[in-house]
Amino acid sequence: MLPELLQGSEGGGFLIIKDSTCYSGRHLLRSFISAALKREEAVHVLGFEVSEEELKHGLKGSATERLHFHNAYVDPLGWTDCPPFTVNQFTLKDLEHLFNQTSQSKPAILVIDSLSWIMRHLSPPFVCRTLQQLKKGGAVRTVIGLLHSDMHQQGVVGSVCHLATSVITVSPGGRGDEAVAKTTRRLKSGKVTQDGEIFSIKEDLSVIITQGKPSLPGPKGAEAEELEDPTVNLTFNLLLSDQEREAKEKLALPFVFSKEKKTALLHSGPGSGRILYEPDAADDYDQEDPDDDLDV
Amino acid sequence: MAAPMSSVGKHSGDRPANTTSFQKKTRSKLISIAGTRPSVQNGQLLISTGVTSLDYVLGGGLAVGTVLLIEEDRYDSYSRMILKYFLAEGVVCRHELFVAAAQDHPNDILQELPDPILDDIAFPKPMEQHRPSFEPQDNLDAMQIAWRYQNLPKVQSALASSSRFGHYYDVSKTMEPEIRLTAKCHRFYAPEHHTKSSPTHSPMLESYSALLKSLQDVIQREGFDVAAPMSNSRNILRIGLHSLGSALWGDDLCCRDNPTQRHALTNFLYGLRALLRSSLSVAVVTLPSHLIQNTALMDSITRLCDNAIALESFKGSERETNPLYKDYHGLLHVRQVPHLNCLSSQLPDHKDLAFKLKRKQFTIERLHLPPDLSERVSRVSRGELAGAAMAGSGCGSGSSGNKHLDF
Repeated sequence: MLPELLQGSEGGGFLIIKDSTCYSGRHLLRSFISAALKREEAVHVLGFEVSEEELKHGLKGSATERLHFHNAYVDPLGWTDCPPFTVNQFTLKDLEHLFNQTSQSKPAILVIDSLSWIMRHLSPPFVCRTLQQLKKGGAVRTVIGLLHSDMHQQGVVGSVCHLATSVITVSPGGRGDEAVAKTTRRLKSGKVTQDGEIFSIKEDLSVIITQGKPSLPGPKGAEAEELEDPTVNLTFNLLLSDQEREAKEKLALPFVFSKEKKTALLHSGPGSGRILYEPDAADDYDQEDPDDDLDV
Repeated sequence: MAAPMSSVGKHSGDRPANTTSFQKKTRSKLISIAGTRPSVQNGQLLISTGVTSLDYVLGGGLAVGTVLLIEEDRYDSYSRMILKYFLAEGVVCRHELFVAAAQDHPNDILQELPDPILDDIAFPKPMEQHRPSFEPQDNLDAMQIAWRYQNLPKVQSALASSSRFGHYYDVSKTMEPEIRLTAKCHRFYAPEHHTKSSPTHSPMLESYSALLKSLQDVIQREGFDVAAPMSNSRNILRIGLHSLGSALWGDDLCCRDNPTQRHALTNFLYGLRALLRSSLSVAVVTLPSHLIQNTALMDSITRLCDNAIALESFKGSERETNPLYKDYHGLLHVRQVPHLNCLSSQLPDHKDLAFKLKRKQFTIERLHLPPDLSERVSRVSRGELAGAAMAGSGCGSGSSGNKHLDF
């Protein structure tokens, strides 16, 4: 499922990468950014945690024109006179203003690095409301956020993930630079799908899914073998050949009338009697009290 | 032959010409409204939730004037389904609806209502007034052997179905817009009512107080108040509140262990229940209880609602692959049953219930272990037994015991 999310074919979603101190999700975040840039989409990044150079490291030169980095790393709380971007500007109006400044043809992708930083300084209900407005409105196509699950109380993480359409939880894998990604995805129809994969990220920020799933959901393969075809290995023939089928359809059934007689019988004319029945109050007898004499 | 007329409460306008003027003596003072029936236990007026097995679990139905709290499952799939069943039942019984939500617009919820199955519900369709006498000719070839039954509707029921209690719905189809528009719906979308007013120290959040005010307006305006002058046609208001208490309502109940306004939701529920007790309405509230960390607060929320059930779906947990649960989609816990006007309540017989959402029915059954027909019964490992014992602790069947007695 991770490659599909990287493709980003369906817009209008809110994707959360949930990481912890054991394994940082920023590499995966940068893979998402580079995949979006390769798809020729405009990407807006709200960078609170790392500087611009560190985030852009490894991204190809030409594609970075479409990457708009809003520097909130330098002065996020507005202590100096003219900060480039502060955390208080995380509202729908200010963000829309920001997007309109850079002219683009289609809605962009918003990457938030990181949501945890914003949640430390703004109240969670306010952040949830803004994220919901971003998700619903047409200003952005997709919102991707990085969330550090060990920085918040469980309720905060749960509330934000409740809003998301996809949640990828990354944790360290077995060997080397491999990591495990557990993805939960909520489709528009209400269906929820889950998947687990082992992946690794190369130098050029492409994601490689290695074989071998971390934990198989269960012996589902055994059930398929038991359903055999019962029409095989019989001493009599259950199926029809083509000739036999034709002969069957040609057979004249009893009580088959001509078409005129059928229509005459089916649609009774205006002269024939018709029974008009309207159920009365007296017919509506109580199942539990048919004689109508119990005192309930 | 005397044909008695309908009693007070039913539409008295359409009196057929050949009935007499004998009036049936009403044997009770209950208002008779379409889609309701008196309870056999305590005479309360009950309505159906839309799910017949849930009606059975709740003791016949939901009493008018009470609140049903549904604790949501993790991904809010089944609780939303029950809310939609509740609203669809309201449309079929011609009740009025009030839908409030903060996440999706109420119109989105209303468009997803499941389709009722019965054919001959008398909905005012402007086109088809008469029997299908002018059917196209190719329909004659539809049935070769049983052609006399071609023109009959596919599903037949005995009497006029809108007087039945509890209907069945097909989840794979959505309700036709014509049917849905026959019911009057009031909507409340929380982001539209969000105003940047000055934070006066009120015990309730502004979104909750706006919702309560809106409910009060609707009840008084449309005449659902019990104190309103008694007219012939009374109706029930069905209130569906989706995902109350989540962060999108402005409440940080789900976010923190010690919320800043811990009594916001409880005050709202108190006000809601007071409003319902004095009007002909029923409310179904869904709450994302899996996000609430404070168990004391969750308990007080449960106490403030009359009926409370919790849904626990197997999706995403390790129970999904447990062979015990393979027939079901989740467990249903009954947290509270009301005792209205009586000292003790009707407790459900079985405490271990599991639910399953099929296409045409939402079934709630008693969870029982499947019969163990394998040959290697005596050699079941301890690990599996431990899992079974933990899950089926209320089951009562003895197969989770030791298997050493094997004759």
